[in-house]
Amino acid sequence: MKRFVKKWRYPLFRTLMLTAWALLAGFPIFWITSTSFKPDNEWHKWPPVYVSKNATLDNYRMVWPIHQTGSIFVTPDQKGHGVAHESVTANKPWHALKNSLLIALSSTAIAVAFGTLLAYGVSRYRILSDTRMFQLLVLRMIPPIVVAAPLTLYYSVLQLMDTASGLIVVYFITSLPYAVWMTKSFIDEVPREMEQAAEILGASRWQTIWEIIFPLIRSGVVATFLFILILTWSEYLLSFILSKVDVVTLPVQLSKYEGSTEGRVYGHQAALAVGITFPLIIIGIFIRKHLVRGFTFGMVKR
Amino acid sequence: MTLIEMKGLRKVFGRNIEAVKNLDLSVEEGEFLVLVGPSGCGKTTTLRMIAGFEEPTAGEIYIQGRLVNDIEPGQRNLGMVFQNLALFPHKTVAENIEFGPRMKKVDPETRLRRVREAAEMVKITHLLDKLPGQCSGGEAQRVALARTLVTDPSVFLLDEPLSSLDAKLRREMRAEIDRLHQRLGKTFVFVTHDQEEAMTLADRIVVMRDGVIEQVGSPLEIYGDPVSHFVADFFGSPSMNLIPGTLSQESGKARFRAPGLTVELPPSFSQAPAGEATLGFRPEHLAVSQNGGIFRGEVRLVEPLGKDTLLYFDRGGERPLIAVVEGTRTFREGDTLGVSVNPDLLYLFGGDGKRIRRGSKGTGIRPA
Ligand SMILES: Nc1ncnc2c1ncn2[C@@H]1O[C@H](COP(=O)(O)OP(=O)(O)OP(=O)(O)O)[C@@H](O)[C@H]1O
Ligand SMILES: [Mg+2]
Repeated sequence: MKRFVKKWRYPLFRTLMLTAWALLAGFPIFWITSTSFKPDNEWHKWPPVYVSKNATLDNYRMVWPIHQTGSIFVTPDQKGHGVAHESVTANKPWHALKNSLLIALSSTAIAVAFGTLLAYGVSRYRILSDTRMFQLLVLRMIPPIVVAAPLTLYYSVLQLMDTASGLIVVYFITSLPYAVWMTKSFIDEVPREMEQAAEILGASRWQTIWEIIFPLIRSGVVATFLFILILTWSEYLLSFILSKVDVVTLPVQLSKYEGSTEGRVYGHQAALAVGITFPLIIIGIFIRKHLVRGFTFGMVKR
Repeated sequence: MTLIEMKGLRKVFGRNIEAVKNLDLSVEEGEFLVLVGPSGCGKTTTLRMIAGFEEPTAGEIYIQGRLVNDIEPGQRNLGMVFQNLALFPHKTVAENIEFGPRMKKVDPETRLRRVREAAEMVKITHLLDKLPGQCSGGEAQRVALARTLVTDPSVFLLDEPLSSLDAKLRREMRAEIDRLHQRLGKTFVFVTHDQEEAMTLADRIVVMRDGVIEQVGSPLEIYGDPVSHFVADFFGSPSMNLIPGTLSQESGKARFRAPGLTVELPPSFSQAPAGEATLGFRPEHLAVSQNGGIFRGEVRLVEPLGKDTLLYFDRGGERPLIAVVEGTRTFREGDTLGVSVNPDLLYLFGGDGKRIRRGSKGTGIRPA
């Protein structure tokens, strides 16, 4: 009997905890998805409507217009004027999506590529001391708002304000610490002897990195890439301060549905939010195998 | 012919960890050389310097007469089997073996043939499509050997390749490596801290201690003619009985005294310096009888090994005195017996741990 209890207590506890956690984490996603399909009279309804009986795609049509011409969705680009009060029906989300894709993908790719090489150097040749590695992490501990103000000054002078490259640079810098720290932990897991075995068999340095190291840390690199991509993709503050007229990213675009002249347009906001979240979920599903292996840090077990 | 020559080799890690101190050693072509010694004595460091993974702090290494200090590991024409094998886990066994030839740009057809030959040589053809993770310990061991021998190196460097295997497999792989050495006729440098492995495999044994070479010699020389207390103690199982005591010279007769034991030494020790000394004799050189003997004591433990029997006597010291007697003669725990030893098979070590040879005046340096 005692054994029976022992055997079941832990899995039961675990299941309960994980279920509670899943509900907690899943509810907002459910809610936003549900809201995105509600007609406008159900947005603020009390008691709340969980699953609308009058589900509609209107919100999506408004936020993600497919036809660019001849419809009410198109408003002239106002270039800097009245952005905060911009019409909800503006054809902005597609621009924002394009910007976000460009900025998030390129800054993440650069950060991960550069970070991996740096991490390799740190792991194998200690090109950065422990102190330097810690300082790199400290870079992340500074609240972004603190550096935002001085950055605007630099950026004005460098003419990087409101440009995609400006955001790419700042995201590259802020995500580099993560890239280095995460990939280093994966590289550390690859025994040195593995490389030396390749070396003594006649492989060049690049062949060793390409044939031995990279395949072994690939899962970790993918996990790192996605982790940073999510952070960058949803970054709001720096994007809002450094660039909000020409180069609007999705999170900034999302904020524009709040406090605008039309009041809170929950449905549109939700439709946009779903559009922001789904690409990540889809990528996540595709590379699930890598994520599990990468995040459990267990890919070199021998 | 000398294949590898090390001159004044030294390796310091960090500021003051001296892993290898002034090592001179040459490896002859085709021989099976075993580096043996306790943990941390610098065996791996020496091997890694030969391989080129560790840059010597001082000294030179020649391979086939060529100074290789500045030559990359991949260019030294060596093969190495690592302690943890370091098989590539994401490549199949065949790809693992093929890696070396592929890096050296051997054409695919030749490569395939050589992979098959190597796999046959260590009997792993049935494993070629598996991943290393799917192989057992012994199989993985063979794969590592195949991956090395396929590149046809002039020297095989093996760093404790058997230490992760269980006793039976170890013996099996030991025989396998021995067979491989016979068959290939190549030079092997083998690192181990297992004296038995060293004794059974080696043509020549290099005993290392604290970064220096303590003794070099054939297994029989090392066993029968140790230069120091350390070497005597390290080789042999059960190990040599070593009894600390004092040596005195009384009217031309050398006498060794220890608690409960006095031994009259043969005249050949009459030149030995009086003072602190250690007397040594191998368990198999002891004779046990009901009466007489240099030492009488109670048998504390009887350990029958089948062919022989081990008798443990309590001497009050740290280690029991051990005698090996033939067969399973009926000795019982608690019996009081006398132990005697052939005086010609005694070893004497001075206070400095060095062997005192017969006819010598102490601090015996081994004659060349
Ligand atoms: N990379 C290193 N950095 C600092 N010290 C080292 C390094 N490699 C080895 N040492 C030190 O050098 C000494 C010799 O090490 P080595 O690995 O050669 O010993 P070993 O004889 O192979 O021992 P074992 O039987 O345990 O493998 C040890 O004291 C070890 O701590
Ligand atoms: Mg070692």
